[in-house]
Amino acid sequence: MKEKRTMTSAQNPARRLQSRAGTAAALAILGAALAVSLVVAVTFGTTRLPVGQVYTVIRWELSRLFLGASIPDAWAPGTAVHDVVWLIRLPRLVLAAAVGTCLSLCGVTMQAVVRNPLADPYILGVSSGANLGVTLAVLLGVGAALGGNSVGLMAFAGALAISFAVVGLANVGGRANSVKLLLAGSALSAVCGACSQFFLYMHSADHAATQIMRWTMGSLAAASWPNNMVMLGVAAGGTVFFLTQCRTLNLMLLGDDTAVTLGTDLHGYRILYLTVSSLMVGFAVYSAGAIGFVGLVVPHVVRLLFGTDHRRLVPLCALAGALFLVWADVLCRTILPGNEIPVGILTSMLGAPVFLYLMARHRYRFGGGSV
Amino acid sequence: MKITVQDLEKSLGGSRVLNGITLDIPENRVFGVIGPNGSGKSTLLRCIYRVLQPEGGAVFLDGRPLGDYPLRSTARQMAVVAQHNNYNFDFTVGEIVLMGRSPHKRPFERDNAEDYKIAAQSLEQVGLAGFGERSFSSLSGGEQQRVVLARALAQQTPCLILDEPTNHLDIRYQLQLMELVRGLGRTVITAVHDLNIAAVYCDTLAVLDHGCVVAVGSPREVLTPDLIRQVYGVTARVQLDENGLPYILFRPGCGTIS
Repeated sequence: MKEKRTMTSAQNPARRLQSRAGTAAALAILGAALAVSLVVAVTFGTTRLPVGQVYTVIRWELSRLFLGASIPDAWAPGTAVHDVVWLIRLPRLVLAAAVGTCLSLCGVTMQAVVRNPLADPYILGVSSGANLGVTLAVLLGVGAALGGNSVGLMAFAGALAISFAVVGLANVGGRANSVKLLLAGSALSAVCGACSQFFLYMHSADHAATQIMRWTMGSLAAASWPNNMVMLGVAAGGTVFFLTQCRTLNLMLLGDDTAVTLGTDLHGYRILYLTVSSLMVGFAVYSAGAIGFVGLVVPHVVRLLFGTDHRRLVPLCALAGALFLVWADVLCRTILPGNEIPVGILTSMLGAPVFLYLMARHRYRFGGGSV
Repeated sequence: MKITVQDLEKSLGGSRVLNGITLDIPENRVFGVIGPNGSGKSTLLRCIYRVLQPEGGAVFLDGRPLGDYPLRSTARQMAVVAQHNNYNFDFTVGEIVLMGRSPHKRPFERDNAEDYKIAAQSLEQVGLAGFGERSFSSLSGGEQQRVVLARALAQQTPCLILDEPTNHLDIRYQLQLMELVRGLGRTVITAVHDLNIAAVYCDTLAVLDHGCVVAVGSPREVLTPDLIRQVYGVTARVQLDENGLPYILFRPGCGTIS
């Protein structure tokens, strides 16, 4: 008991951030950064628009919404500048923020539920299920009766169906645990992936392949206000829900046995969290396709700086995920002049090296004893 | 708070591990469970702390079967230090100890100043005052085990269950840990491998063999050469020290497989 370690919190900046004041400050900074980002990012785009015009449109729209003012003709709906700012750029940024929140929050949750630091929101087959749904919709016209956005709806249906199938399978022959969930997830993912490829191979229709590929790369281009309202509701609702669950999420990381001795049976919570996460990811996938790495990288970066405690992790990840995807989308629209790359490609390009860097660092061991 | 075990039966992987165990756990004493590997020590404890469900018989808490209580309320009665504490994610020591307050909290309830005080006191009790900010994974095995003990202490339960917590600790930590829990004056149920440690720190010993209780009594009554030969299949000499506590001596050749 005489072992003395000399490292104090003063010498370890990461630990200092984990204090209560540090967390509150970080939340305030991230929140402000997100607000500023939304305001700044709206001036970027493939169409060049003077900054003053951008803000004039927003000012008129806001005064119409909140004060009932009528917009002068020069800035009214139908003018190019109005439509680019109010119907394309802003909805897209809001969608980016909402999807980013959902993905990074679901990353945190999935990592807790399967007790594995390498889990991401798609680990339980959500993305391959959605992919199969899209393939069926595009190639075979399944779900065409659902109307205009039948592809998105099929993606949503596929994502949900697979995650519930995974939970069901993991419960066969005894209660689901993290290992069974992971195995069922990978197995069903493989099956869905193979089915999608089979249909694609049999049809060999080029345009379909392009359409499916574009979808699997993820894009925020289809953003619209009506859908954004739903997506914002899902992101906010999910965040509030998981904020109330921090204690149980922490216990999950200790495992089933320890949780029982601390008075909590995790089984029901696991199913509940998976259901909520699947819904959140399902909506994200419906709105923006499969965007990789956000749910893996954001939680790990936040963990690296602020520790594992979910009371910090949940709110910080919700904000950091939104911030990350807003800027990732801005980069997508501006990195190649006159062209736009799918946001999923960019998040993987950015995310994977960050992830490898974290892995290579000695100080960060994904929390475990060794990697 | 009184724990009794009645006709407990449990199979694991198709083979019977507990064959009708009946035990009366004395209050505020250290109760040791000994027996060879596979005799059912850990299974018995795991039934008591509710990680396993018995197939027959029951564990009673103050006369009512455990199943009648919600998990949260038994977690306020007994705390557990188990042998395996390998986490995939890194918490700080303070966060782990604070989790010991969980059974006293509603799911949404935040930890208050009282909880932080209890956590700090628990860390102090195990000799780790000031370790709260340290990362759990950076600690040695002995320190980690003491953190888990501090978490159990923070649960503030009348009963403490030790499921072979000293297994991979060196002798100094084994003795420190046993000394500490003995000094608590609470009901302690512990599985013990080392017969000499059992002899020194336990008030009562129950000997398990093939899922049955073969002897219950004070260390002096239980730890006889005959019983050790019968249960463990080894020849040992048993002597008494100046306080009348038995100590067990093994000599070359005493472990010959017969």
